[in-house]
Amino acid sequence: MRLLLDLRNVSELAEREQLAREADEHGIWGVVVTGPRGGECVEASAIATATHHVSIVVDVDGNDVHPTTLAEEISVLDQITKRRTMIIFRGPSRSRTSLAALLGGLPVEGVILSPPPAQASIPVYSPEDIPETNLPEDLTQLAAIVDKYRDSQAPFLIVSWARSIKQLARHAVGRAASTDFPQMVADMADQIDPIDQ
Amino acid sequence: MDMGIGLWCLQSTATNPRSFGQAYQELVEDARMAEDNGIHSLWLSEHHAYYDGYCPALMPAAAAALAATESIQIGTGVLLLPLHEPHRVANAANLLNEQSSGRFHLGVGMGYRPIEFEIKQRDMSQRLKLMNAGLDALHSTTQTPTWVGISSEKAAERAGRRGLGLFISGAFSKDVVNTLIRAHRTAWEKSDPNQDTPPPVGLLRNLWIVDSPAERRQALNWVRSSYLVYAGLGWGADNTGVDFVSQIETSMDEVEKSATVGSAEEIAAELDGYDVDLVVCRIGYDQPPRTALTEVIERIGRELAPLVKDSGVKL
Repeated sequence: MRLLLDLRNVSELAEREQLAREADEHGIWGVVVTGPRGGECVEASAIATATHHVSIVVDVDGNDVHPTTLAEEISVLDQITKRRTMIIFRGPSRSRTSLAALLGGLPVEGVILSPPPAQASIPVYSPEDIPETNLPEDLTQLAAIVDKYRDSQAPFLIVSWARSIKQLARHAVGRAASTDFPQMVADMADQIDPIDQ
Repeated sequence: MDMGIGLWCLQSTATNPRSFGQAYQELVEDARMAEDNGIHSLWLSEHHAYYDGYCPALMPAAAAALAATESIQIGTGVLLLPLHEPHRVANAANLLNEQSSGRFHLGVGMGYRPIEFEIKQRDMSQRLKLMNAGLDALHSTTQTPTWVGISSEKAAERAGRRGLGLFISGAFSKDVVNTLIRAHRTAWEKSDPNQDTPPPVGLLRNLWIVDSPAERRQALNWVRSSYLVYAGLGWGADNTGVDFVSQIETSMDEVEKSATVGSAEEIAAELDGYDVDLVVCRIGYDQPPRTALTEVIERIGRELAPLVKDSGVKL
């Protein structure tokens, strides 16, 4: 399971960029961003420019927009992010089908994206495909929550986290990835290399 | 007048194929370089469903350029408004301006390629109606500086009546340009006589700074070659009134004649006759090597811009 840091409720762009940089630096798999309707890819592009490695998961509103227009925006975004784009789509299922096909490089009603996405196919998920949770400060409780979602075979978990990104990475990324995460190593790391909160 | 550069179209053309990743990376690099050299603005251009990937979504591209810079203005020259949902354009424009402390300019135009209307299921015969409805929606939902790409007096008057800026395409003679500007200004004055500051006027110009006859010939060849891109776009359009194939050489000759190529001093003297606030130097051709593009950006910012700063009107 891979962790996605939720930036959707962080109000200031400067703070979102800083958190994204920290996620980038410490190996969080992705950050989740959004924007006003039509501005989602604008926000994602700004975050992508501030980072190098972290996946940019864009929560987009697909209502009242032609799916080709949305696909064009996402395809351009994927060029800007250099293959780091992933989509959470909210909108009509027919639009989602068209969008997913276009972002997979397939023609839809004679249209094929130009430019194409940088990835072979940009993943498109629905909100219900990816669970979300607020992770608690208590690290024992955090471990239990991460274990629960990992063991439920969820491919991703969107997490809200109010403390240090490095601490999140230290205690949750490896645990999310593996059932044999050595908690002892993370605990001892906290003593050897304490993290300022 | 201020000096901008354009048009960044982010293509991989048949004349100069490249990776799209490189194109978008160079957009960010070019915006930084232009900023470092004191260029006022960088302008992007939009088309849809074209073989070379001509950028179909300008707002994310503008966001990348703005996020990578601190002072340069970034504009769309132009976004084809009838092909978009205006409320989404307004939201994106507002967000870009919020994130960049007001450095985003929204240039809009109508579009002319049937295929672009077809893929968005829009009736091209209704494009003026769609344009006006879009401008109405933008007026009530965004404070973003808005410019309208025009090529006729009527269109200039429409923009003037709305108090919107003018973005004049590149190949017109000085007399035609100044006629369009007069139509725009007169319509604006009639629409609201109490306003003090007229909406700005921008002029797109094929332009290159050179030092020798050989460099001049090279630059003019790049200008001629750039017309191929336009001709290719128009080739599939059945309503332009131009037979692009049979008229290619004639059209290239006309574009070459309209280009402003010379020393910085010669170009400044030529531009002094235009009553515009902004000249967008059209240098985003696909043929010049990167070293030549870098050099001309530096020279526009460091040599030409100081010479023309007191001409026209400062934005």
